[in-house]
Amino acid sequence: MIIKSKGYKTFRVINVFIMLLVIVITLFPVLNILAKSFSDLKNLTQNTVSIIPKGFNVDTYKTIMGDMDFWNDYKNTVIYTVLGTIISLVMTTMFAYALSVPRLMGKKFLTAFVVFTMFFNGGIIPNYMIVNGLHMRNTVWAIVVPGAISTFNLIVMRTFFEGIPKELEEAASIDGMNTYGILMRIIIPLSKPIIATMVLFYAVGMWNSWFSAFLYLDHTELLPVTIYLRNLIAGAMSATGADADSLGTVSVNIKYVTIVLTSVPILCVYPFLQKYFVQGVMIGSVKG
Amino acid sequence: MRKKLSKVIAMILAIATAASVTAGCSKSDTGNAPAASEATTSEDSNITTKDGFFYSKEPVTFSMLFSDNSAYPYKDSWEFFKILQEKTNVKLDLTIVPMSDYNSKRSVLIASGQAPEIIPKTYPGSEDQYVTSGQILPISDYVNEMPNYSKEVKEWNLADDLKTIMQADGKYYVLPELHESFVQDYSLCVRTDILKKNNIKMPETWDEFESMLKQLKTLYPDVTPFSDRWQFGATMQIAGPAFVKTPTGLKGTDADWSGSPLYYNKDKDNFDFYPTMQEYKTELAYFNKLVKEGLMDKESATQTSDQAINKFVTGKSFVISCNAQQLKDYRKKMAANLGEGNFEVEKLNILSGPAGKNISGNRLENGILITQKAKEDKNFKTLLKFVDWLYYSYEGQEFCKWGVEGTHFTKDGNNYKLNDSYTLPDYGLNPDAKNAKDFRKDLGFASGVFILSYGGPNTLAYSYMADEDKKFSENVSKTCTLLPNAPKIAYDEDTKESQNMLESTLKDYMNQMSYKFILGQADLDKDWDSYVKTFDSKGATKYLETANAAYQEQKNK
Repeated sequence: MIIKSKGYKTFRVINVFIMLLVIVITLFPVLNILAKSFSDLKNLTQNTVSIIPKGFNVDTYKTIMGDMDFWNDYKNTVIYTVLGTIISLVMTTMFAYALSVPRLMGKKFLTAFVVFTMFFNGGIIPNYMIVNGLHMRNTVWAIVVPGAISTFNLIVMRTFFEGIPKELEEAASIDGMNTYGILMRIIIPLSKPIIATMVLFYAVGMWNSWFSAFLYLDHTELLPVTIYLRNLIAGAMSATGADADSLGTVSVNIKYVTIVLTSVPILCVYPFLQKYFVQGVMIGSVKG
Repeated sequence: MRKKLSKVIAMILAIATAASVTAGCSKSDTGNAPAASEATTSEDSNITTKDGFFYSKEPVTFSMLFSDNSAYPYKDSWEFFKILQEKTNVKLDLTIVPMSDYNSKRSVLIASGQAPEIIPKTYPGSEDQYVTSGQILPISDYVNEMPNYSKEVKEWNLADDLKTIMQADGKYYVLPELHESFVQDYSLCVRTDILKKNNIKMPETWDEFESMLKQLKTLYPDVTPFSDRWQFGATMQIAGPAFVKTPTGLKGTDADWSGSPLYYNKDKDNFDFYPTMQEYKTELAYFNKLVKEGLMDKESATQTSDQAINKFVTGKSFVISCNAQQLKDYRKKMAANLGEGNFEVEKLNILSGPAGKNISGNRLENGILITQKAKEDKNFKTLLKFVDWLYYSYEGQEFCKWGVEGTHFTKDGNNYKLNDSYTLPDYGLNPDAKNAKDFRKDLGFASGVFILSYGGPNTLAYSYMADEDKKFSENVSKTCTLLPNAPKIAYDEDTKESQNMLESTLKDYMNQMSYKFILGQADLDKDWDSYVKTFDSKGATKYLETANAAYQEQKNK
């Protein structure tokens, strides 16, 4: 039974109004950047572009997309992101589940071990020497392995697992399932929301990352697109006469174009993951 | 009990970390001493010349760091390295680093002992941090192995310039690239079409500059004639020598134009603190007057460079600071806004002030570090001779800029001409050639890793300049006096740290107050005394005394 009181109606009106305002505020910069990326030199220097492109031009897109290095680096980014996300997800899930089991021996030690890394780390140079010593430099492994488990994500996931009623696991184990069976058939199917969140966190992180690539990769053909674009912007923005770029008009809106080119693909991931963000899968699973 | 356990673990981890760090450091120290004596005899006979090129009889490979410029991204297929290898028998094994992060990667590689043998593109000053690591060779000990370098230093009188890079031990660690003549690039530029239309003379002094702005203001009351970019920092730097005989740049949000707050007095051979000098007050008063009279835009101090450029290219201001490359950029934007042929822009000559018509600058440029690893290489001497030839011999520099005579360029006296099948639009060489290969992007020549666009011997420096820039540069050299360089004060480790900290406090205060004085938020007559006093209480006197004492001690060594 739905009661539509006067108060409720006012609430709806105000609610919709506020939400619309939020949408406008968040959408404006996105549209502004999109419009600027398609505008020409004259309108950009006069600063007249708001959310509709003026003096439509795609020179910058053409210049960047006409470069084979760009596509090669884009391919690298996709590979690093997919592989990195899979590895991170598997490792984090396994570790987080283990930590969520109360009867695990040395649980306190392992937790302390993990949390320790949130406060202290070896620093860039020791890390570099480890990666170098393991002969991972200039391979994809240098990008996807060292940061495979993010401590923050691990703790989030462990907390989620701890929230799953223990009775479900007990029931499964009475029915003869071992630990791996419980993880694969009970825990993971119940954890779709958290897994979707982790995929998003890891994929976006990997997509945007450039630091480990900059550190461990010495050949241009291995670099991800983030570094390619970073270097492009550095070139276009440099004020020194000697090394200045020949990009010309391109340099004016290169910032906007690079933002569009790098964010669009990863933005497309969101709608596909959204359906997993469902609450209440476990309501009523434990009775009495 | 549990607490104890976690403490033990923490200890173990800490020790392990420390051990791994120190292990990495000690590794690099091994094998310092030997090599040199055994290698000499066989190596000397290894090096000859062939067709004007350096030639190593034995094929050798040297590792090198390469800064990848996005305007001409590195390609394996570049002819430059192929020809270099054919002609010299030297193969360069490159570690490619995007230029955006070149400095950070260099630091990581040096600190972890993984750096290549040759590290180019290191600006004097940035090598300081590596000196104590022992990873970088004190290159001044080896210059006797480098005849071309020594010759340039001697013939171009660079001994004083080299004092600006000496460390506390009296040695220098970066092998700088050299200019025969100092090239002034930054200046103010002005809309000459407006000046011509109204019969206004191009100014040569700061006073004439003021009267030019006044006339413009009278003719165009809606326009604030001078609206500067780089938060006015660059203009202050250029104006400094005319008022105070030292660059007086400010630190803006875009870029830091400020240098040391010390003024080197050549006559007394000691240092002064310029922010409290009367001459600096005069300089501030001059610009404050421009602001008061509405000749200079107040926003010059706060606006971003883009905002300032937009005003200039849309005709809302007539004067802005620039360099050669930026001037080209303004013209392009003005053509889009005002229409081709509706404007003319030119650089002003460096203006003179109460202290004369001076420029300040150093003839040393970004240079090369040679690492400890190179010394362990059995071909160390060959490496030194190769670097010497490539960066300091006329033939080597010509090759990097122009390629091989006949194949890539022709030469008529001092006039170079790129062959028609190649183009280098960045320097205005065959810019409109059809179906031509880009000399830089497609062949790898003229790369910033190997050349100074406007440096080296005069002939080669001018060979890359557009006529306009050559005219400006020659005019500046003819009319202006190059101020003597301040020698580097090489403090010992502890003093350096305390001096640096003091310096940054003092500079912050100077920066903040200079803007206030210029904009009129502080009054030069009323507030100057308390400004000078505040410097004292912030330790300016101590800072200056320490600097002078350290310099005297260094001289007596």
